[in-house]
Amino acid sequence: MFQRTGRDIIAPFGGALALFALLLGGGLLYETLVGTGSAERLVTIMLIDAIVVIGIQIYVGNTGILSFGHIGFGAIAGYVFAVLAIAPAEKAKRIPDAPFGLADVDMNNWLALLIAVGVVLVVAVIIGIGLARSEAESGAVAATVITLALLFVTHEVARNWPDLTGGDRAGLSFKIGGSLDSRIPILLALFATILIARLYAVSRSGRLAVAAREDNLAARAMGVNPLVQQMAALLISVAIVSVGSGLRVYETGSILPDNFFFDYAVLTLVMLIVGGRNSVTGAVLGVAVMTIGRELTRRLGQDGFEVFGIGLDEAPLDWVFRENLQTVFLGLSMLGFMIWRPKGLLDDWELDAWAHRRFAGTDEQQPEPLPELDKAPAALLKADGIDVRFGGFQALQNAGVTAASGEIVGIIGPNGAGKTTLVNVLTGMVEPTAGTFAIDGEDLSSKQSFELARTGLVRTFQNLRLFGSLTVRENVEIAAMVAQEHRDGRVHRDPDALIAEAGLWAHRDRRARELDYGNSRRLELARAAAMAPSFMLLDEPTSGMSDSESVAMIEQVRHMAATVGAGVLVIDHDLNFITGISDRIYVLDQGEVIAEGTPDEVQADDRVQAAYLGSAAHA
Amino acid sequence: MTELLQNLIDGLGRGSIYALLALGVAVIFGVMHLLNFAHGEMITVSGYATLWAINQGWSWIAIVPLILVVSVVTSLVIERLAFSRVRGASDFTMLLTSFGVHFLVSAVFLLYVSASVKNFNRPSWVSNTFSVGSLNVEVFDSIVIAITAVTLVLTTLLLQRTMFGLSLRAAAADFDTARLMGVNSDSVIRGAFALSGLLAGIAGVFWLMRAGSTTPSAGIDPMLKGVLAALIGGLGSLRGAVLGGFALGLAEVLLRSWLPDGIASLTEGVVFALIALFFIFRPGGLVKVATAERV
Repeated sequence: MFQRTGRDIIAPFGGALALFALLLGGGLLYETLVGTGSAERLVTIMLIDAIVVIGIQIYVGNTGILSFGHIGFGAIAGYVFAVLAIAPAEKAKRIPDAPFGLADVDMNNWLALLIAVGVVLVVAVIIGIGLARSEAESGAVAATVITLALLFVTHEVARNWPDLTGGDRAGLSFKIGGSLDSRIPILLALFATILIARLYAVSRSGRLAVAAREDNLAARAMGVNPLVQQMAALLISVAIVSVGSGLRVYETGSILPDNFFFDYAVLTLVMLIVGGRNSVTGAVLGVAVMTIGRELTRRLGQDGFEVFGIGLDEAPLDWVFRENLQTVFLGLSMLGFMIWRPKGLLDDWELDAWAHRRFAGTDEQQPEPLPELDKAPAALLKADGIDVRFGGFQALQNAGVTAASGEIVGIIGPNGAGKTTLVNVLTGMVEPTAGTFAIDGEDLSSKQSFELARTGLVRTFQNLRLFGSLTVRENVEIAAMVAQEHRDGRVHRDPDALIAEAGLWAHRDRRARELDYGNSRRLELARAAAMAPSFMLLDEPTSGMSDSESVAMIEQVRHMAATVGAGVLVIDHDLNFITGISDRIYVLDQGEVIAEGTPDEVQADDRVQAAYLGSAAHA
Repeated sequence: MTELLQNLIDGLGRGSIYALLALGVAVIFGVMHLLNFAHGEMITVSGYATLWAINQGWSWIAIVPLILVVSVVTSLVIERLAFSRVRGASDFTMLLTSFGVHFLVSAVFLLYVSASVKNFNRPSWVSNTFSVGSLNVEVFDSIVIAITAVTLVLTTLLLQRTMFGLSLRAAAADFDTARLMGVNSDSVIRGAFALSGLLAGIAGVFWLMRAGSTTPSAGIDPMLKGVLAALIGGLGSLRGAVLGGFALGLAEVLLRSWLPDGIASLTEGVVFALIALFFIFRPGGLVKVATAERV
């Protein structure tokens, strides 16, 4: 579940402790300095907001899907908790006719909270399926609308079902003095929340979810099923939001439909984006910054231009600073950050990851070069009669290739010959109109791309699809994680060693998007090798490279494949590269295989010379 | 049977307004992949313009063009101030930008105009009805349906027959390629916002005539209906958006008449829940748009 004890367990634990201490310490300091009851209340609310916001961060940050619905889940949790935990004597005043005999239920607060979390989890599973399906089909935008709809449903139901919720005006209340009188539960929940959020982010599921956030298609090509990870993130996330919401209701002592609607959804989202939604540290910072900012603007609105006794009486700006100025401040913060700093103050910077890099990661030794396998595990890839038609355009016609492990097979052909389409078919990204392909006789033609990657067909991309904001090492580790689970019986190589083999050791902690072209290509190769593939499908691995780099790439591809025992299917239109690297070559032209054989045989073939090599030779 | 026909007519009237809103949402989504949560703000702003005009003693004849102009201008101003700065950004950024616009506009009206509901006189004929056989048809509904039909035909002509329409459809199909082919992205996007604002303006006229009031958050409802209808229809499809609008209108009216009295007040909630279910079974919407990703 975790890759390295130091980095992935100890550091996050320390980081969570530090963040918790900073937030609480800051709050206590403010309380002492101001010394009023309302200051104390402000700090309590801030701590509860932090639980909710970090809860939301677990989903939004790791999956990259914007959700308004978490506050809707919070509303469900809040009402379930309130209806169960409020004493029957109080319920008799507001909701004597509650359905299912709920008016007479007298339940312990903790049990009530637990049931609230349970109910929300059940709802989240159903909503989660809808989210996943529409996200897969129409993108994250559709998922966001569904979350917004959820927020509205819960609000509508809460308003219009007074028998259960006390309706729009009265709401539900605990008896006076029955609400939270100690901060201990909040503090415990807050610390647990920060810790869980950090641990999830570095756990297997968290890292796979982040990979899909960075590049959904590439993640699927690396054997990740994003929907599973998104569901995991959603469930953990809403469970925490539910706890936070229950505490919020208990602390307030009452619940109204508007407590969990637009304003709170916007507030929590702004807190999240201001600090940086991709980081737990950012979420904590955002909560602090926005709490301070809102308190200042609230006072500004209340006291006009005169803040803390400084300012002018009867200033002309007084008409600007009105009550409820916080809402304008919230709107401006949301817009301003989205326009000028969409990743927030910290982007994905994490306190513990930084501290670990700074203080613990200095004595790493470059791994030894990897040996090549004497004998690759036997595997045979066979594609037969593949037809692909896009509308009226026949991209592939009766195309067939075979490749055995340990073999390097080249596919060459002019632009538009169908080379990339063939790789797309073999990796589940284009559905063939006809034809089948199989490894060792097991038909794979109806499998999805992540399933194909798990059975050993792993590709690289012509237009480079790395997980851009992750480091070189994280890119390779993600593939290795999937391989550990799904590639039994294959040789697994240490990610660090593969990075060193790709000549990227010096860049191991740099973000993938900072790499130059050649290094990016080599990283894609190392990432593919980390999948312990049966076959690597390389889509123009030398495009954009200089001649000398291309020559070096021949040896690199050959060696990398040999260390993991993979066969290689490589596409290129660079003739020297293909003839230099391949044991056998297929020549594609206008969607058809027109020749096949050793490099020498293919070069001697008349049809090939006419169709492709001829023109290249005379050019 | 009569009841069903009656519901169909009511639903068509309601659905017409949703269709216009959804079409506006879909046009913007087409050119910049932005799902516009601020689409209702044209109606919020128009509402206050209407309020002002009525207090000035304007008649509805003069207010209708006012609403159209205000709506188009609002749409263009929002594009200029906010959306032009996040072109090409991630979905997350664009979604939250549009939501921020919505939130800020309503906060500003709340703070600097009035927090309360402001009523104004509706045109006197709005609730008139006439009978066809045993059916009671609202004059208003029939006007809405007729004008929507004309608008949809004109919009189709605009999209099919003009250079602007061609560039807009090209941009919707593949924005990068369209730009390479010499489509001026600036003017296409601004044109799309003007068209979207105009469609929202027409819907806004009906909406405001029917509501007879405005509030700072008046934009939420039409926005949500437009966005949901566009999604039901299938994001990216203009035809789908119109279909989605009618489907949503019909669903609301039919549900309201079929649901037992006890939970009739929950109609909205039930509609949302049904939409969520709909997406579980048909996640791509009514009209599926091919979105081949380049690899």
